[in-house]
Amino acid sequence: MKRALRVAAWIAVAIIGAGSLAKIAVHRGEPINAMWFVAAALGCYALAFRFYSAFVAAKLLTIDDTRATPAERIDDGRDFVPTNKWVLFGHHFAAIAGPGPLVGPTLAAQFGYLPGTMWLIAGAIFAGCVQDFVILFFSIRRNGKSLGEMAREEVSRRGGFIAQIAVLAIMVILLGVVALVVVNALKSSPWATFTLAMTIPIAMLIGLYLRFLRPGRVIEASVIGVALVLFVVVAGQWVANSPSWAHVFTLSAVALAFALIAYGFAASALPVWLLLAPRDYLSAFIKAGAIFSLAAGILVVRPNILMPPFTKFVDGNGPVFAGKIFPFCFITIACGAISGFHSLISSGTTPKMILRESHSRLIGYGAMLMESFVGVMAMVAACAMTPGVYFAINSPSSIVGATADAAGKTISEWGYTLTGTTMTDLAKLVGEPSLLNRPGGAPSLAVGMAQIFSSTIGGPHLLSIWYHFAIMFEALFILTVLDAGTRVGRFMIQELGARVWKPFGRTSWLPGMLLSSALIVGLWGYFLYQGVIDPLGGINSLWPLFGIANQLLACVALVLATTIMIKMGRLRWLWVTVLPMIWLVTATMTASYQKIFSANTRIGFLSLAQSLAAQLAAGEIPAAKIADTQRVIFNQRLDAVVTAALALMILVLIVEAAVQWYLLLAKRRPATIHETPYVATAWAGNFTGIAHGDD
Amino acid sequence: MDRQKMFIVHLWNNFVRALRSLWRGLREGSGDADYERYLASRSVRESSSMVLTRAEFYVEQANRRYSRPNRCC
Repeated sequence: MKRALRVAAWIAVAIIGAGSLAKIAVHRGEPINAMWFVAAALGCYALAFRFYSAFVAAKLLTIDDTRATPAERIDDGRDFVPTNKWVLFGHHFAAIAGPGPLVGPTLAAQFGYLPGTMWLIAGAIFAGCVQDFVILFFSIRRNGKSLGEMAREEVSRRGGFIAQIAVLAIMVILLGVVALVVVNALKSSPWATFTLAMTIPIAMLIGLYLRFLRPGRVIEASVIGVALVLFVVVAGQWVANSPSWAHVFTLSAVALAFALIAYGFAASALPVWLLLAPRDYLSAFIKAGAIFSLAAGILVVRPNILMPPFTKFVDGNGPVFAGKIFPFCFITIACGAISGFHSLISSGTTPKMILRESHSRLIGYGAMLMESFVGVMAMVAACAMTPGVYFAINSPSSIVGATADAAGKTISEWGYTLTGTTMTDLAKLVGEPSLLNRPGGAPSLAVGMAQIFSSTIGGPHLLSIWYHFAIMFEALFILTVLDAGTRVGRFMIQELGARVWKPFGRTSWLPGMLLSSALIVGLWGYFLYQGVIDPLGGINSLWPLFGIANQLLACVALVLATTIMIKMGRLRWLWVTVLPMIWLVTATMTASYQKIFSANTRIGFLSLAQSLAAQLAAGEIPAAKIADTQRVIFNQRLDAVVTAALALMILVLIVEAAVQWYLLLAKRRPATIHETPYVATAWAGNFTGIAHGDD
Repeated sequence: MDRQKMFIVHLWNNFVRALRSLWRGLREGSGDADYERYLASRSVRESSSMVLTRAEFYVEQANRRYSRPNRCC
C-alpha cells in the first residue's frame, strides 16, 4: 500500500514536471505565468534527484557507507572536520553559487526565455550536477585531493599541468569580467557607489571586532554588519540627493575600474582577517537573504513572463552579445547549467568535511540543482520585465544609441515597444540618473528583482530602495569573488613562480607577496580595462571568453572522471560522463572557432581587428581616436590568441586522454587507481551529527 | 485535563528542540562553532602539542580558508 502511494506520488511529480516543461516549450502568444517555470524546474529536479542521482550513486560510483571518509579518519579540527549533511550542503552551495548563475541567464534572455531555461534545467541535470557529484566522490576517495592533483595522478602529468593553467586562466578572465559587471552597475551612480564603498569600512570594523573584541563570534558580528550595510543602502539616497556628496561618488567607468583594481590589490596584500574574511561573512548572510526573498517574491507575485519564447536575435545579431543559440547560449550560461569552476570546490574544502560517502549525493548533485534553480529565477526576473526595457538596459550605446529617445527608436524598430520616456521615468523611479547602456546583467536583474519586491512590499515608492538593495547584493557578491579570487590567484602565481625560483613560493615573503599580488591584479585589471574601453561594451567579448575558459575546466573534470571510471571498469555506464563531455567540447570548440575566425565583426575578434585596421589605414578614424583604436585592435588580437590557447589546451587534453583510454581498454597499461585504502567506519550506522554539544 | 497538559508540554519541548537544532545548525554553518569543533577534534584530544587559543585559531583558520579556491563564479 505504502509502496503504491509512493509510486503514485512520483508519477504525479513526473506529470507536473513534464507537463509544465511542455507548456513553456510549446506556448505561444499570450504572456505565460512564471509559476510554470517554477513547476517545470522543481518537478524535473525532483525526478532527477530521486532517480538519476540515485542511479549514478549506485551504478557508477557504488557508494559505500561502511568506508570511513577522510573527515572521520583524519579529524584535525581544521580542514578535516566531520560536518552535518545539511550544514555542509549550505557551505557547499554558498561556495559554488556566485554571480554567474545570475548574470549568465540574464544575458541569455536576449534569445527569449526558452533556450536559456531549457539549457539551465537539462544542463544541470545531465551535466553540471553529474560533474560536481562524481568529482566530489572521487576526491573523497583520495583524501580530498584537488582536481589538478587527481588529473596528474590519474590522467597524466600533462593533464595535471593543463588543469593548473586552466584554473589560473579562468580565474584571471573571471575576475576581469565580473569586475566589469560591477563597473557597469556603478558607473555614474552615486547611490550605488556610496553603498558599495561603505561596505569596505564596515567589513574592516567587523574584522577588528572578530579579531580583538570577540574573537570568532561570527553570528553576532554578522548581525551588526548586516544592519550597518542595510543602513548604508538607505543612506545612499541622502548622498545621491546632496549635490556636493553626489559629486564625490559619481565616478566614470575608468575611475571605477582603477578603484576596483586598487581594492583587489589591497585585499590580496592585507591580512585576511581584516578585510576578506569579514566581508565574506557579511555577503554570506546577505546572499542567503536575497536569494530566499527572490524565491518568495516570485511565489507571491507570480509575475507574467513578457519576453517571448524566442526573440528575433536567435539569428545571431543580438545586441547584448553576438552569436547564435548554438554555441553561444551554452557558453553564456555556464554556472547554473555546468560550470567547471565547481569541480575546484568539489575537490577542495567539501570532500574533507563530508561525514558519509552517501552524503555526496545531496551535497554534490543536490547543491548544483539548487544553483540551477537560482539561474531559473534570474531568467524569470529578466523575462518578467518589458522586453524593450530589458534591451535598453543591456545593450551598449554603439548599438542602440546613447540617449533614451534614440534607444527607444532603435528598440521599437526591432519590434519591442519602447518610448524614451519609459526609460527616463524608470530611471527616476529607481533613483538613478540613467539606466541605459548598462550591459553585464546586474542592473537589469536588479530592476527585475526590485519590480518583484516592490509589488509585494512598498509599491512604487520603495522601488528605488529595492533596486539599490539588489545592486548592493550583487556587487557585494561579486566583490567577494574578486577579493577571494585575487588572493587565490596570487598563491597560484607564487606556486608556479616557485618552479623557477624557490623563494618566490614563500607566501610570507613580503617582496614576493607584493609582486605576485601586483601580477594577478595586473592580469585581470588588464581585461577589465580592455572591457571598459571596448566600443562594443566589453561584455560582448569578455563573457564568451569566460564561458570558454570555464567550460575548458569542466572538460578537464569530465575527462578525469571518465578516465577513473575506465580504470574502475565501469564501461557500461561511461556515457554518463562521456555524453556531456562530447556536448561541451563541441559547443566550446565551435564557439572558440567562431570567436576567432567569424567574418561578422561583432563575433570574430580577428575580423573586427582587421576592419578597424582597414579604417585606420584609409584615414577614416579621427585623429583623436587613433590611439584608442590601436589599443582596441591590439586587444582583439590578444583575445583571439587567448581563445586559441584555451581551445588548444582542450584539444591536447582530449588527445592525451584518448591515448590513455585506448591503452587502458586494450589492456596495454595496468589500470592502477590511486584511491586511499579501505578503512571501516568506526561510527554507528545512524550517526548524523558532530559528537559534541549540549544535548 | 492532565493529558491536555502533557500534550502541550510535549509540543513545547519539540518546539524548543527544533529551535535549538536550528541555532546549532546556524552556528556550525556560519563558522561560529569552529573553535569548539577544533577543541573536540581528534588531533587536539590525542596530541600533546600546544592547543591554540580562540583568537589564534580564528586567524589561522581565516588564513587557511582564503588561500585556496573557496568562492566560485
